[in-house]
Amino acid sequence: MNRIKKFVSKLLKDYFNEQDKRELIDILSISLEEKVEDLVEQGTPVDAAVRRSIEEFGSTDDVLQAFPGKSTEFRANLVRKRRGGFLFAVFGYVVVVGLALFVNLWFRSFFKDFLWFVIVAIGTLFWPAAMLYRYRTVKK
Amino acid sequence: MISSDIIRGHIDTIILKLLLERDMYGYELAGEIKTRTANKFDIREATLYSVVQRLEARELISSYTGEKSHGGQRRYYRITPLGKAYFRETIAEWKVLQDIMRAIMGDDIR
Repeated sequence: MNRIKKFVSKLLKDYFNEQDKRELIDILSISLEEKVEDLVEQGTPVDAAVRRSIEEFGSTDDVLQAFPGKSTEFRANLVRKRRGGFLFAVFGYVVVVGLALFVNLWFRSFFKDFLWFVIVAIGTLFWPAAMLYRYRTVKK
Repeated sequence: MISSDIIRGHIDTIILKLLLERDMYGYELAGEIKTRTANKFDIREATLYSVVQRLEARELISSYTGEKSHGGQRRYYRITPLGKAYFRETIAEWKVLQDIMRAIMGDDIR
């Protein structure tokens, strides 16, 4: 039943305050586990029952539908959080690449004019890029 | 099949009505809605169980652990006196809405 709790926790990861989230995860997991038990009692193998329960359960949006007044607030919080994550990634990227650039140029003769900071710049680009992607998916 | 958008505002009332008849556990509620509406109302379990949590937080329903006949334990929900009062209020509003719609739509909805 660990799989169920993991699934529900993942679904609610970015929403609700900690206490509400805990309560909601508990209730949703219990109801799902009860469904699994019902299906097993009706003769479905445990694995198939868990899989079916998860597949039929619904999405994060379905959970948010139950809180009509709050769903806009949840969404706004998530957008803010993701924007913060993106800006932090940009800041971190600038610091790392800046440091690499400084060391590279300061000890240029030691590195025999090899501009290796470019590798660092490209290699760490995935961080802000990933954060930008996450931000844009919720901003739409 | 009716989408949950149209009926969303009435999910609370539907759950309270079912619990007014007898105590039920989450999946039992989902099954009962499917059976009674002959699968015409497609409510996702994620929505249903979340509404149940919200109703419990508002003390319109309460829960207890009970034994299912021929099965293990289940978390059953029962309607509270506050829930009954809220249900009666909602039904009164529903009747007013029905009268308004009938008055406007006339034979189109008969």
